[in-house]
Amino acid sequence: MRKLWLNGTALVVSVLFIFPVYWMFSTSFKSNSQVLTKDPVFFFTPTFEHYSTATGVELFWTYVANSFVVTVGAVLLALVVALAASFAIARMEFKGRRGMVLAVMMAQMAPWEILIIVVYLNARDAEMLNSLLTLTLIYFVMALPFAIWTLRGFIAAVPKELEESAMIDGCNRAQAFLRVIFPLLAPGLMATSLFGFIAAWNEYAMVLVLNKSPEAATLPLWLTQFQTNFGNDWGATMAASSMFTIPVLIVFVLLQRRVTGGLSAGAVKG
Amino acid sequence: MTVHIEEAPAPPPPVRGAGGQDGDRRPPRRRVPSGLVPYLLLAPAVIAILAVLGYALARNVLISFQEFGRKQLISRTTEWTGIENYRAVLENERFWDSVFRTFVFMAVNVVLIMVLGTLLGLLLNALGKKMRLVLAISLVAAWAMPVIATTTVFRWLFDTQFGVANWLMRTLGFEGYDQHNWFGSGFSTLAIVTVLIVWTSVPFVAINLYAGLTTVSGEIWEAARMDGASAARIFWSILLPIMRPFFMITTFLEIIWVFKAFAQIYAMNGGGPNRESETLPVMAYVEGMGQNQYGMAAAISVLTLVILLVAMSFYFRLILKQEKENS
Amino acid sequence: MKRKLIAAIGVAAMTATVAACGSGDDGGSGGSSDSITVWLMDGSAPEPWVEELSAAFEAEHDVEVNVEIQQWDGIQDRVITALSEDGTVDVLEIGNTHTVGYANTGGLADLADFADEPWNAPMLESTRVDDTLYAVPWYGANRVVIYDKGIWEEAGAEVPTTRDEWITALETIQENTDAEPIYLPGQSYYVMGGFVADAGGTFAVEEGDGWAGSLATPEGQAGMEFYAELQAFSNAPTDIDEAEPQQSTDVVPNGNVASWIGLGWEAAGAIAAIEEQGGEADFGYFPVPGETADQLGHVFLGGSNLAVSGRAGNSELANEWLRMATSQEWAQKFVDANNGGVVPNRTDVTASPEPGSFAEAMVASADVGYLPPLTTGWANVETLPNPIKELMTQALNGDDYQSAAEEADAEITERINRE
Repeated sequence: MRKLWLNGTALVVSVLFIFPVYWMFSTSFKSNSQVLTKDPVFFFTPTFEHYSTATGVELFWTYVANSFVVTVGAVLLALVVALAASFAIARMEFKGRRGMVLAVMMAQMAPWEILIIVVYLNARDAEMLNSLLTLTLIYFVMALPFAIWTLRGFIAAVPKELEESAMIDGCNRAQAFLRVIFPLLAPGLMATSLFGFIAAWNEYAMVLVLNKSPEAATLPLWLTQFQTNFGNDWGATMAASSMFTIPVLIVFVLLQRRVTGGLSAGAVKG
Repeated sequence: MTVHIEEAPAPPPPVRGAGGQDGDRRPPRRRVPSGLVPYLLLAPAVIAILAVLGYALARNVLISFQEFGRKQLISRTTEWTGIENYRAVLENERFWDSVFRTFVFMAVNVVLIMVLGTLLGLLLNALGKKMRLVLAISLVAAWAMPVIATTTVFRWLFDTQFGVANWLMRTLGFEGYDQHNWFGSGFSTLAIVTVLIVWTSVPFVAINLYAGLTTVSGEIWEAARMDGASAARIFWSILLPIMRPFFMITTFLEIIWVFKAFAQIYAMNGGGPNRESETLPVMAYVEGMGQNQYGMAAAISVLTLVILLVAMSFYFRLILKQEKENS
Repeated sequence: MKRKLIAAIGVAAMTATVAACGSGDDGGSGGSSDSITVWLMDGSAPEPWVEELSAAFEAEHDVEVNVEIQQWDGIQDRVITALSEDGTVDVLEIGNTHTVGYANTGGLADLADFADEPWNAPMLESTRVDDTLYAVPWYGANRVVIYDKGIWEEAGAEVPTTRDEWITALETIQENTDAEPIYLPGQSYYVMGGFVADAGGTFAVEEGDGWAGSLATPEGQAGMEFYAELQAFSNAPTDIDEAEPQQSTDVVPNGNVASWIGLGWEAAGAIAAIEEQGGEADFGYFPVPGETADQLGHVFLGGSNLAVSGRAGNSELANEWLRMATSQEWAQKFVDANNGGVVPNRTDVTASPEPGSFAEAMVASADVGYLPPLTTGWANVETLPNPIKELMTQALNGDDYQSAAEEADAEITERINRE
């Protein structure tokens, strides 16, 4: 009886959450005349026309490549740099530690949407426009506070004894970290990666003004180009959005397996 | 297969299983003074944050004391105006209306997100494997959908002429939903934005909480159930204390995120009708960026940050206190 | 200190950046002397015309022309920042109502050399500030009434030549058919501006050193009243504009709409959408009627200008390109490539629209075109939430016009005087 209730609730909630996503996917297969109708169209013959419109855009593959380079670069940078910083915060005593904790929290509050113009000015004056590296650096810093914060918690949760016993066994501190702590951080690393991935993958406002050269543009710019002053190509917008969502879902499915592996090592439970 | 996507930002302290270490306390968590090493480890993060964020924030403060529009941007000139921008903002009635509206909006959203997120996290934990995967994938799909698509789809769903919401109401037999305008007032606009924001934010909380719950030793559940504790009691007296760091940090993040929410509100109805759904970030955009008054926008953003810092100061103190206890 | 840091990272970026970035050794795609970059808006120029022109220019000057089509989303931010960069863009298309604003920033080059060409006089207005020419006209466009011939015939309605006849026709359709007599959303403010202009009014007037909103006037009220009279025939909500949902592709093909007010590309879009559904559009067109038969109604004279960036990488070449693109030969080709669907920028170019076409109706009322105030701040007024749109919704929902208009005027005055 309880189980029925639980499953029933879960089903209803799933439907509520998936509906807008379903609507996006289904619209991408409708012909343009079926998109906005007085009575919604639920059954229709799917068309793949919008997908060819969306992928047929000039330089599409450049955008794809740029997006991947920038997103993966930012995530990797954030992981490495955050790992070092969070280890220091979680495990070492030094002057200014609390100040650092506070600084990370405040960095998390940064109003990036409003800082666009000053970030632009800084990049312009440093002659760093139209560069994938600039974008990577910015997205990396956007993801960094969250990454430090999350990893710090995970490192703190690893019992000190584990590390100490490794050091007794003849590892130095760095080795102890790599062999003992690092594997236990899998869930935290995955959390950080997913967060950073979604943030960088979706970023639009910065790249809009920073990279005006078409060769340095990313997918979010492509995503908006089917909505124009001359009418919106809803089918293509939704096809593009659907394709845009899929990498995130793939990253999620890949990550969640690793996370399960990391957790089943069991040491986190002490 | 269990599903963990995103771990708790601050996982619960390790819960010792029944076979603990002879009841001994662990050696106190003292950190060793390590000379230069911690600074070296922190250096890349500090340099990156200062170079990108710190530099931008500093310039933002400078610009807030300037008349800085497209003329100054293009001709690369500087015109200092002292506190003129701040005066203009503080004297603008809309600013204070927006502050008030933002706080109410934020409170409602954060409470809804945390309550629903917690319930769904517990539900994930209680479900069987298959159903759990179904629910988790629905949640992640909602989270991963790009903002441009979510706002577009939500606008469609609630469109006056072609909306699914009106169709549904008609089909269910409600009167007066032939051309019902869901964006007719600031209140109902914000209500729909709330649905949208809660919809996109709940997955983060639910999945994090569930991931955190999996680190709670199964024996605790068993022991509690053996004692005949009710579900509510288990939650309040066992889970909540264990998961306290999780709730603290997640609430903190959600407060910040909802406070900063811009695209969803602006895309829905441009802060309208009649600017009745204008929150602080929307106001900053409309008065500043949207009209290329970058100096004004900078002043509003500085004020917003100050307000947010003051409002969150109790939070900082809590977190710092916790830090002290841990060290 | 921090500056140095940024510079240091900048150097790293230069060396580390791979070929994926467009800014190779010439420091920007438009910066080198053997290429120029032209920004045209999405949907503005027919592709064959652009390609043919580029080829001709490249052959004549032995340089590369990069025509980069710009998306509408976020275009203001892109243009503003691009004008502050050296060599990012050489020639760019700017909407006629925004040209003066950009000229006043100092970001556009003086085009005195072009002053003597036979430009279309009304279009020239939007390109000058105090007799200095900052842009040249490229094309114009204005709205006409588009009607479904079948429905009008069924209802027995006649094509009107005055406002009274127009209302009569709509009443006839309402009585005799199930169709929506006219689709007119509540916030189509450029249509309303035409009615205000018919009454002799305008959105804002010059006052002292600045501008002031002028909708709380008898003229403003008269314009709004006629708009409301028309809008009463429509089922459209009062709080949306014609773009969302897009009237041409989303509304008209899905509804039973007897008439609507739109631009040339909208008519074409509606026809295409109807054909996609397997139907056939049978549209007729007439200019927006005026109060009397000898005076057509005022319509907003939309359009685009072409300008040269003050920071162009190669302003000489940019001028050359501009000269070629707006020469009699290429301007005529441009009009022909658009099937006469645009108002030509020069008096020595002729648009010869087919009888009964959209273009014919459009060109007829091009002479009674009006422009909004040509000031730096006009773009601010149009930023969402647009006070004119808000006023229209309030008035249509039955609020007191005068007080709502006074509020709107105050907001317009505040915004229009911002630089």
